[in-house]
Amino acid sequence: MNLLALEFPPVNHLFDWPSIWFEGTFYAINKTVLIYLGSMLVTMILFGLAGRQRESLVPVGVQHVAESGVNFIEESVVMQTIGPDGKKFMPFLTTMFFFILFSNITEVIPFIQFPANSRMAIPVTLALLVWVIYNFVGVRSQGLLGYLKNSLFPPGVPWPLYLIVTPIELVSTFLVRPFSLAIRLWANMVAGHLLLVTFAVLSAAMWGAGGIGFGGALFLSFPMLILMTGFEILVSVLQAFIFTILTAVYIGGSMHPEH
Amino acid sequence: MTATIRRLAGAFGLIGALTVLSAVPASAVGETPGTCIFEKVLEAENDYGSVHALEDPANKDALAAFEQELDTCEEAPSLIIPEIDEIIWGGGAFLILFGFMWWKGFPAVQGAMQARSEKIAADLDAAESAKTQATTVLADHEAQLAGAKAEAAQIVEDARAQADLVAAEIAARANEEMAQMRARAAADIESARSQAVSDLRGVVADIAVGAAERVIKSNLDIDTQRALVDAYIDEVAASNA
Repeated sequence: MNLLALEFPPVNHLFDWPSIWFEGTFYAINKTVLIYLGSMLVTMILFGLAGRQRESLVPVGVQHVAESGVNFIEESVVMQTIGPDGKKFMPFLTTMFFFILFSNITEVIPFIQFPANSRMAIPVTLALLVWVIYNFVGVRSQGLLGYLKNSLFPPGVPWPLYLIVTPIELVSTFLVRPFSLAIRLWANMVAGHLLLVTFAVLSAAMWGAGGIGFGGALFLSFPMLILMTGFEILVSVLQAFIFTILTAVYIGGSMHPEH
Repeated sequence: MTATIRRLAGAFGLIGALTVLSAVPASAVGETPGTCIFEKVLEAENDYGSVHALEDPANKDALAAFEQELDTCEEAPSLIIPEIDEIIWGGGAFLILFGFMWWKGFPAVQGAMQARSEKIAADLDAAESAKTQATTVLADHEAQLAGAKAEAAQIVEDARAQADLVAAEIAARANEEMAQMRARAAADIESARSQAVSDLRGVVADIAVGAAERVIKSNLDIDTQRALVDAYIDEVAASNA
């Protein structure tokens, strides 16, 4: 794609990674898959090491990271959205937060520089898993009819409004939620990756052009690339938090319809 | 302020250096349309000798096929359709991770946190208990000290009262003894005076009698009588000494 005299790769090609092993099979491994596996291993190592350091009174290093994460999920996610009943979901929500975070943060890690969640696989898989879980929790907590009644006919709404509210709730709760959850994460990571690639390509092209382009790269595009890299660190953490807290909100809503 | 600016500059420098170091993998991702088109052109040149040969009306179908192949170079899998292999590996990785966290990772970290909380709570309780104990001991010591002070004051007071009492007794006894001594002395004096008066009366009588006898025995002039009386008195005095 030729844009303002820049050779910019087509957007699709920025996200399509060729297979490294098992090409052509349903279990082919590419860069995205390696990032998923890496995120799993890093989280395992983090919590494995943190759990072994019981003696120290003041947590440091990996123990501090893991405990801060657990504390954050408990205080800022579970207690704020579900309440004490939600503590049984702590392992699930903690796993989700760290897995998404580490899959996102690879966006700014040198020599990887690709957010695995800019591929739709994990966002949609996790969103569907969340959909199954919060519906299961709703049916288990309120019974099938109770859950459907509370979901489709929210208490406190004047009955004529149900003509409007019920179809909206039906579409919102049972159809749109998982996709909004998946697309929010995916689209943010796609946009972040595009931003970084744009400024990287722009910097490289202007630097190579010399003259005024060199100055432009030095004072405009490259500082912006650094700024955007910092910004994307924030986005990576924020999107992991948003996905996790929305999951908790949905589960909390299924457990406690009165809220 | 300067330190903050220095830290910020350092952070930006680090991010910048890492960005420069890894610029190549960021911008060169997968097969580009250029390389794809280049490969198709090479294939066409191998098949037909030159790409321009495809402009021959006889190769009309081949030209259409070549153009379609070039179009496919611009195509890539849809961004929004998830790949099955990525779902399998990614979903599997998540489930394995969740299993590990449920079984080991989360309970271990939570256990460590809980153990620390309990230890801190126990230490605080122990500190509170020690503080209470210290306060009690201090209060006891203060009470004992106050008791000791009161006791000492009482002892001093008692001693003072006892001393006053003893002094009063001694003074009374001394006064009494003095009065007795005075009385005895007065009695002695009185007795001595009575004795002296009695003795004097006897002596005076004897003197008077003796003197009278001598005066009667001899008719003496006045000087001789006086000398006789004085000599008699000296004699009497010498006999009483």
